[in-house]
Amino acid sequence: MVFSSVLFLFRFLPLFMICYFIAPGRMKNIVLLLGSLIFYAWGEPVYAVLMLFSTVSDYVHGRLIESKRGTRAAKWLLVSSLCINLLLLGFFKYADFLIGTVNAVFGTTFPLFELGLPIGISFYTFQTMSYTIDVYRGEAKVQKNLLDFGVFVTMFPQLIAGPIVKYRHVAERLHNRRADIEKISYGAKRFVTGLAKKVLLANNIGLLWSIIKEAEYARMSVLTAWLGIVAFSLQIYFDFSGYSDMAIGLGAIMGFEFPENFDYPYISASITEFWRRWHISLGSWFREYVYIPLGGNRKGLPRQMINILIVWMLTGIWHGAGWNFLLWGLWFALFLVLEKMFLGKVLAHVPRLFGHIYCLVVVIVGWVLFELESVSAIGGYLQAMFGLNGRGLLDRRGLYLGRENAVLLIIGVISSTPLCFKLLEKLKKSGSGYGMALYHLGEKLVPAALLLLSIAYVVEASYNPFLYFRF
Amino acid sequence: MKEKVEAWLTVGIICGILLAFTVVDLIKEDRFFSETENRILASRPKYSKESLLDGTLMEKYEEYITDQFVGRDKWISIKTGTDMLLQKKEINGVYLAKNDYLIEQHLPADFSPELVEKRLALLERLVDRFDAKVMLVPTADNILTDKLPAYTEDFDQKAFLDTVRERIGEEHYVDVYRVLWEHRNEDIYYRTDHHWTTRGACYGYAAWAEAMELEEGAYNTDETAVVTNEFLGTLHSKINMPVKPDTIEYLPMTEDVPKKIVYDMTVKKDSFYEKSYLDTKNKYGFFLDDNHAFVEIKTNCKNGKSLFVIKDSYANCTVPLLAMHYEKVYVIDLRFMNGKLIPFMEGYEKKGDMDVLILYNCVHFLEEFQYYG
Repeated sequence: MVFSSVLFLFRFLPLFMICYFIAPGRMKNIVLLLGSLIFYAWGEPVYAVLMLFSTVSDYVHGRLIESKRGTRAAKWLLVSSLCINLLLLGFFKYADFLIGTVNAVFGTTFPLFELGLPIGISFYTFQTMSYTIDVYRGEAKVQKNLLDFGVFVTMFPQLIAGPIVKYRHVAERLHNRRADIEKISYGAKRFVTGLAKKVLLANNIGLLWSIIKEAEYARMSVLTAWLGIVAFSLQIYFDFSGYSDMAIGLGAIMGFEFPENFDYPYISASITEFWRRWHISLGSWFREYVYIPLGGNRKGLPRQMINILIVWMLTGIWHGAGWNFLLWGLWFALFLVLEKMFLGKVLAHVPRLFGHIYCLVVVIVGWVLFELESVSAIGGYLQAMFGLNGRGLLDRRGLYLGRENAVLLIIGVISSTPLCFKLLEKLKKSGSGYGMALYHLGEKLVPAALLLLSIAYVVEASYNPFLYFRF
Repeated sequence: MKEKVEAWLTVGIICGILLAFTVVDLIKEDRFFSETENRILASRPKYSKESLLDGTLMEKYEEYITDQFVGRDKWISIKTGTDMLLQKKEINGVYLAKNDYLIEQHLPADFSPELVEKRLALLERLVDRFDAKVMLVPTADNILTDKLPAYTEDFDQKAFLDTVRERIGEEHYVDVYRVLWEHRNEDIYYRTDHHWTTRGACYGYAAWAEAMELEEGAYNTDETAVVTNEFLGTLHSKINMPVKPDTIEYLPMTEDVPKKIVYDMTVKKDSFYEKSYLDTKNKYGFFLDDNHAFVEIKTNCKNGKSLFVIKDSYANCTVPLLAMHYEKVYVIDLRFMNGKLIPFMEGYEKKGDMDVLILYNCVHFLEEFQYYG
């Protein structure tokens, strides 16, 4: 089930929230677990079993690690837990990719499994791994209650698109949480903001990209190519951060405090800064469970470079089973290494504007690697972007699409900066009665308007006039 | 304390919106058919264990509640209105053109050289066999170019028609492009529908008459009569926003010749025009009773001549103009036809004894022109 659907907004969400809020104390977790299972099983009835298996496996491993604490057995139990998680992830996400690669390299014809990817498996396996590792390290207390643990793994708000919540951050809230009206109000507003980002911005700007992506790159002007990839950059940001906002909002309504996942990444002035602002929960996961255990920056520069390389190859491949994702990860590793070596110092001494331009170009070129799968498509698109295909700067198609989407793109660019947020804060802090009244009015009218508009766009997505004849 | 009240208000508004629409949606009645979308809406799916396990039940249920969602048409208007505020000039493949015109978009990429070649091969066979005339009408996007938004780029039908002309030969080609282009400042296309108007069809007729070397009977486009001022056509359905309604006109003099019309070999009429459609959304159905697989027309014009028209809906308002030259007119819509075309035609008239006209708009021709045998 996706958040931006009639089904979620007008069936699941009202029913779930009513049940959740009338359920007393401990019953709330039962409602949350059942609700999450229905939410997940709606689209993936069979894979829900897989998620439950993963839940029970990590629950049992956690309990055993606790009971064998300090012995060699504990270490082997951790390894066993990680292996199970990584095998599940590896099998469902990477098996066909590996088989395909082997077939391509050696000319073999091993059949593919062609199983659909279980939704959210990349997120929940990472969450459960954080649990067993933290229990092993003694950084989290073992969870003895299977229900509470099940809630942690299956919780529907962040189940399918993050943020990746570390167990120790929500451990306390799993059995002891209170949602007061201020939190609920914050959560509701945050949810609506996320919905609007996804439905109004991401989906609509995405239409522009889907048109340009389908076109012929060899005949594309510089303008069209940049329009397309800028549109994709905005689409993926609003889509992903919109989902995170919705998750954080729904969590807040129930009394959870999920970690922030995005912090206006496109205002960064270096790649190092970009990755502190983009998909923060994933970056922090890799940092804590891979980069630092590998030695981080404590074993000299050459070793640090290798560690960066490993982490970014993994980050790349986490986003999808394909060589282009690996390439995408390496692309960032390259600039992170350069920034560590000398570029960071250079950027610190030039006006910040240069940093912004450098960072955006690297990130945007990166999205070409991310979004286009084949080497020839990537090459063709990059040639178009930098005018190497001889089609010139402008063409009618680019001008038409640019004019048609100009307002939307401007709104998108402004919304990807903290400008509106800062203006609101200023209004709130102005302290004048007039400013405050305006703030409170806007705080209600804006979410209401965004919600109504989002509903219109959700309903319209299925608008399908059939014009010529009727059978 | 003040903050708490504000928070309650915010929550109240957001929950209020969601809950209100949920409740109204749950109690309202399902609709079977959507007039604006001209299609049957999804209905409540039947439960079965298999459909539950493979997930199709959930998929169908989701489709059902989205199709049936309360105020569906209004939401769609809100969406379109927002797009307009965002200065979009194209919605759902329709340009919001100047002077209240809605013009359908046809992108070059939708018509591959292979597709063109396939249709041309089929066309050539028919032309060679029956010495047919070919009248392919350009659509509004290629004629009303000065009304289009800036920088549009549509499929070049002029170039396509030049290819057609070259392939089938000058003597088979009816140059309707030239005459429509000359009259592009008149109301030759509907503003809210993808068809040409009776006036447009009159100019088309003139081009045909010239190609047939007929002398009599050019129609006077000033002798048309209005049948309705409330026509909102297919392009209006695509954007579903309030627009100035269209006028449908017809030529009363086409009714001067007495005739018998048989639709699909069953229903008999004695007029080209069906007033009952004027009370429905599909007002263009007024012409020749909307679309039929096969229409036979017998007129009092006892000259022994017969005409086969192989056509799309552009011909519906054009056939009445042609009919006065023939004793018998047969109208075939290939979309609805099963079986082999050529034996079917030769079952009615001996080869060589009839005139044949292939009449489509360029887009329908490329999308739909298809026959067997």
